[in-house]
Amino acid sequence: MSDTPFEGGDRVFEVGYRPMPDRGKRQPPAVAIARTMLTLAWRQRATKIVLLVCLGVLAGHGVWLVGQLLFERFGAEVGAAGMPVGELVGSAREVLANFLRVQFFTTAIAVAVIAGGAIAEDRAAGAFDLYFARPLTRADYAWGKLGGAGLVPFVTILLPVVLLWLTAIGIAPPALRSELWWLAVPALGGGILSVLVLATTIIGLSAVGQKARTVSIAYVAGLLVLSGIVEGLTNGGFALAGYIAPERSLHTVIDWLLAPEQSMLGSQVSGRYRPINHSVFGSLVALLGWAGAGFGLFWWRLRSEVVG
Amino acid sequence: MLLAFSDVQKRFGATHALRDVSGQIDGRAVGLLGPNGAGKTTLMKICLGLLAPDGGRVEVLGIDATRDPTAVRLKLGYAAEGPGRIPGLSGLESVAYAAELCGLRRRKALLRAHEMLDLVGLDESRHRPVETYSTGMHQRVKVAMALVHDPQLVMLDEPTSGLDPDSRDELLDLIVQLREGEGPAIVLSTHLLHDVERTCDSVMIMQAGTVKYAGTLDALQTRLPGEYHVRVASGRPALAAALRERGATVGERGRPDLLHVALPPNTDADLIWAAATASGDTILQLEQKAASLEEAFMAAVAEQS
Repeated sequence: MSDTPFEGGDRVFEVGYRPMPDRGKRQPPAVAIARTMLTLAWRQRATKIVLLVCLGVLAGHGVWLVGQLLFERFGAEVGAAGMPVGELVGSAREVLANFLRVQFFTTAIAVAVIAGGAIAEDRAAGAFDLYFARPLTRADYAWGKLGGAGLVPFVTILLPVVLLWLTAIGIAPPALRSELWWLAVPALGGGILSVLVLATTIIGLSAVGQKARTVSIAYVAGLLVLSGIVEGLTNGGFALAGYIAPERSLHTVIDWLLAPEQSMLGSQVSGRYRPINHSVFGSLVALLGWAGAGFGLFWWRLRSEVVG
Repeated sequence: MLLAFSDVQKRFGATHALRDVSGQIDGRAVGLLGPNGAGKTTLMKICLGLLAPDGGRVEVLGIDATRDPTAVRLKLGYAAEGPGRIPGLSGLESVAYAAELCGLRRRKALLRAHEMLDLVGLDESRHRPVETYSTGMHQRVKVAMALVHDPQLVMLDEPTSGLDPDSRDELLDLIVQLREGEGPAIVLSTHLLHDVERTCDSVMIMQAGTVKYAGTLDALQTRLPGEYHVRVASGRPALAAALRERGATVGERGRPDLLHVALPPNTDADLIWAAATASGDTILQLEQKAASLEEAFMAAVAEQS
């Protein structure tokens, strides 16, 4: 060891290998895995663009909700001008339900861009040895990747739902406020279901893919193609086929949870036609089936490539 | 004991990668030496719990690697031979990430990563993405990643492969520095004899999935009788003939007054003095030359196969 005198009496030491005096309490590695996955995604321009689109959807629904509630509040004056409030805007339920339906699609694109390469890139780069040569279990890795993928819909769907709900509570007329309190439960239920389905399915597809871009394109295209095929089949009389498309099942569950009334403005935003399945329970099972399939695919791949 | 193996077997389809590997090895720096395909990487991956053996028992630092791989990995650092990198991360981020995967807090991981990158000599290029690195820089990052959580044992798989001579020298110097300092014990897997000779004190020689030798380098080299260099004052042929009569192998290459003498088993230098007395020659210089690691390696591989 050599040392160099330093002004003020301090010394700068040039040392070789230095054992760590104190490791501190062991931190869960899943946090680092999720954070690194999202950090890498954030460095891509596509991520910022798609998150901006998600923000736009939120902003649009925010304006819709605020407009509706302001009209509710000051409706008497507007009504006197010949524009009945009920026909001008939909209900808060409709805004939340519509937000969940639209944001499911934009978030599907977001998770495809952000988490498409979560496992595919690790496999392609031979990084499994890098991970599992360290004190890391398969469960740590799975939690990390699922956490990273789940954080995207959490931020784009669940948090905005809470934000919209709080906005509604804040500016609603006192008479309407008590009714809005309980709206949080079904809205959050729909949001959690969306997060679960999106996070698990993208991770499952990424586990079997080799390239991030291929997985992303396959995910979004698959969702659209599946939706189109199911639409055709249900119109042709195969009603059961409707349960195959996740977004159709989600619509069914959200409509049941939020029971939205469709206003004139609402019908212009989302269309009069709402494709839904006959059974809410069947739709819920179908959604949980998609989530289970995604996670199952991921876990199967992990078990086949990594020794316990 | 660093590593202990007992009847370890591993097959990949029809290929028998490891056949009843048994042995114990200890030391500050251990060379895992053998040609490509000898089973070195397979054995290291079994030590880490990355591969499950088909049979047998592996102990790393006294821990059963097949039963508790996580406990082993806490005490062990590994630098794989392949690329093993996460594209998009810088060298610094890669090393800090490796530390966080071992359970260090983010701040501590970053400080430790800087320290390790200083140690391996990666300067400001540590902030560049790893995919832009040269092979030498990449090997340094991998070594830093293996060291960052302060393991008790580090396994380096072919760390000098693909390096230019200067980078190779620097990396071998680093291994020597670790061995002689407060660093962890090292297992160096390589097919290069010179790397082991320069950095290790013990060696495990493998060939075709079997262990040919496990022990110190000194013991390996003294297993061969070595050679005596004998300088004589008068004519070389008389002494050479006398030595051959006594069963020695004599080479007369090089200088005209120099004999290369390999003694028969269970004899010593007295045999040379006796031969010189018999032939009437005067010995000016008698020097024992130890067998090189290469000769010892070749002998170890040959004698048991």
